[in-house]
Amino acid sequence: MPEKIVLTLLASFLMVGALTVVVARRPATGAIGFLAVLLAVAGLFALLAQSFLFLAQILVSVGAVVVLTLIVVLTINLKEEQFPKERFKPLWFVTASIVTAPFGWLLYETLVSVANRFPEAKEGFGTIEAVGKTLFSDWVLPFEILSLLLLAAMVGAIIIGKKEQAYDLRT
Amino acid sequence: MIFAPETFFALATSLFCIGFVGVASRRNVFVIYMSIELMLNAVNLVLATFSRLRPDMGGSVIALLMIGVIAAEAALFLAMIVQLYRKKRSVDSDAFADLAHRRWS
Repeated sequence: MPEKIVLTLLASFLMVGALTVVVARRPATGAIGFLAVLLAVAGLFALLAQSFLFLAQILVSVGAVVVLTLIVVLTINLKEEQFPKERFKPLWFVTASIVTAPFGWLLYETLVSVANRFPEAKEGFGTIEAVGKTLFSDWVLPFEILSLLLLAAMVGAIIIGKKEQAYDLRT
Repeated sequence: MIFAPETFFALATSLFCIGFVGVASRRNVFVIYMSIELMLNAVNLVLATFSRLRPDMGGSVIALLMIGVIAAEAALFLAMIVQLYRKKRSVDSDAFADLAHRRWS
């Protein structure tokens, strides 16, 4: 039973946070909802016995991405009159919901279908050792490509964030 | 283990749909960025569930690599937002529709 309560709690956190992100008018409120979503996803990873993913989600997403987002949102510090004028926002919501309606049918089908169970978690499933062994035996090349991607993103972020005159490559 | 995998798939589907609605219907670039992150996290959740369902660490490894991609994307996107705000004094996504009539000198 406690697992059911935890799952319900995490699911409600997930949904409320996601709706806050989408609906909120102030970006700072949305960032708090975003934090709730990432924490709930980390909790769902823990329920799935993926302990290393839980750790990585907490460290990277909650510790780095949300903090970066909050810093940028609070640094820019939009005033009320600087928000984009979204006159047709309800209309757009309705249209986008209609576009995603087939997914609702899929959701219904998923929920009414026969509930199969997860197999018993083997000893050491999802630990750092298991993930690391798979990562460095079968997935070495994607891992190295990811490190290159991170380097490129870092250099790109520095260059994009520079002042104006740095753009002129002719000088 | 008392949960059904369907619960996790349903949660991931809802999260993805909400993220899509956010991308499609808002004009604030912060909201668009956070909605894209919601969609990526939904995919991560599906990967972790499949990895748990047929005990195989491949799915967790892809989800782990995905977390790295999310971090890289966040750094780039936020740098772009800051730079564009510095130029335009706005976070309206319509203010950035600028490449359409840019003169390349």
